[in-house]
Amino acid sequence: MNPGIDLQASVIHVLTDLGVPEDLAPVLWVPLPLLLMLAAATVGVLVAVWLERKVSAAAQQRVGPEYIGPLGILAPVADGLKLIFKEDVIPAKADPLLFTLGPAIVVIPVFLSYLVVPFGQKMVITDLGIGIFFWIALASVVPIGLLMAGYASNNKYALLGGLRAAAQSISYEIPLALAVLAIVMMSNSLSTIDIVQQQSGYGILGWNLWRQPVGLVIFWVAALAECERLPFDLPEAEEELVAGYQTEYTGMKFGLFYLGSYVNLILSSLLFAVLYLGGWESPVSVSWLVGLVGVPENTPWVEVITASLGVVMTLFKAYLLLFLAILLRWTVPRVRIDQLLDLGWKFLLPVSLVNLLATAALKLAFPVAFGG
Amino acid sequence: MLKFLRQAKDYAQEAVQAARYIGQGLAVTFDHMQRRPITVQYPYEKLIPSERWRGRIHFEFDKCISCEVCVRVCPINLPVVDWEYNKEVKKKELKHYSIDFGVCIFCGNCVEYCPTNCLSMTEEYEMAVYDRHELNYDGVALGRLPYKVTADPMVTPLRELAYLPAGVLDPHNLPPGSTRAGQQPEEIVAQHQAQKPSKEINQ
Repeated sequence: MNPGIDLQASVIHVLTDLGVPEDLAPVLWVPLPLLLMLAAATVGVLVAVWLERKVSAAAQQRVGPEYIGPLGILAPVADGLKLIFKEDVIPAKADPLLFTLGPAIVVIPVFLSYLVVPFGQKMVITDLGIGIFFWIALASVVPIGLLMAGYASNNKYALLGGLRAAAQSISYEIPLALAVLAIVMMSNSLSTIDIVQQQSGYGILGWNLWRQPVGLVIFWVAALAECERLPFDLPEAEEELVAGYQTEYTGMKFGLFYLGSYVNLILSSLLFAVLYLGGWESPVSVSWLVGLVGVPENTPWVEVITASLGVVMTLFKAYLLLFLAILLRWTVPRVRIDQLLDLGWKFLLPVSLVNLLATAALKLAFPVAFGG
Repeated sequence: MLKFLRQAKDYAQEAVQAARYIGQGLAVTFDHMQRRPITVQYPYEKLIPSERWRGRIHFEFDKCISCEVCVRVCPINLPVVDWEYNKEVKKKELKHYSIDFGVCIFCGNCVEYCPTNCLSMTEEYEMAVYDRHELNYDGVALGRLPYKVTADPMVTPLRELAYLPAGVLDPHNLPPGSTRAGQQPEEIVAQHQAQKPSKEINQ
């Protein structure tokens, strides 16, 4: 397997050529991918918000944002600017410290999780050995922030919303983790890079999609519940709870929740693509195509094309899933809280356990196909 | 054991059924994406009101014989008819006439019963005002005709859904060939035009 483009080595090389001392060059490199990822995640949110509004409009036979920029593409920017300039109100009897801390605790882990999202062989901020576990661990920090925000608001709806968010996140983390565990068992690694590696080589046929159809459904349902997307948006169900834990928030603090929810959704889509849809792999194996043309795989221009194709593929898959999430939003009605917990504990949990056992059995029986 | 297996089978069947229903729902939602949007970009585009639209009432002062039928058929006796008996000509003379459209329910009874046809419905529906008393139209205001949507150069007139060409807004999952209740407007027009020539021959 060709390691592909190595941006870190090239940038450090360029820096040392420019006369930067060799010890300093890697230090200068460190903030670059972080800033890039932060910017990419924020732009990704803008795209997601625009997509959400346009696809929702299309599903309801409307036009959606149209006059703010071409095709209304600047609508999310306008939303964001409005939120930034709005007055930041802290209710009189709220707990100011927790009230401010809440949104931060919700958003930071989500952004941190982008550390392990790979866009190519070397195009990942850190190839953590515990990659996917890192994401699951960080995801369980989020409900603490939600609960904090709900409690600090000193509002019954906010408190109820926060409690519901906590209950929902905790219930759905278990099936989510079990679905991921089945993948991990097949890949023999928690690293996101290794998980994609293990799916590569056969194009679309090698993806985990075919080996984990049940796990895929469980993961998607659990991920929607974790993101509080529409069939499971009970924590902010506007008909019952005004806006749940967001009720008392305005300005940038509300903006952080808003941003966080979309970043989280994109993150889940990206990780879904990594776990089940072969990450940066194309439906037709690129190395096979390159071999067909007869160009050596480590030619610079081939490497650049493969790397950019990888990024495009990952994003394409993620946004396809986002589209599915939006479509689901307008298809499925919201579940009740008891139905939600019923689905989580009585359906997804046993099914994901059986899935895990079946995967283990298949791995022992057919080590060739299931990563023995 | 058998009972347990049957329960498991039923449960699995239910789950599959639920998944199929969600799939059907997704297909419907997806199908909607390629349909024509029903949006009317309001101040720039306006719907052409249908021919039986009951809008603001128009009143012709000179035709009115002050019979007060409009007041009697009105559910809330709304029109104000101010007349005086002229002894010389032995006729009622109309002084003022007004309808308060802040109260009117646009039922059209007055238009229906007016013996001299001095009341009629216009297609005006834009009656937003800053003060509700502005909606109390007097004889002069009632005599004004609204600007036609089709004549306004600032506005793109749009046809209403039922008037669009056949097949543009077909709903899904209906037996083929099913239409809305009653005759389509174009059918009425066709009938009307079919009757016309025969009348002209008779005259």
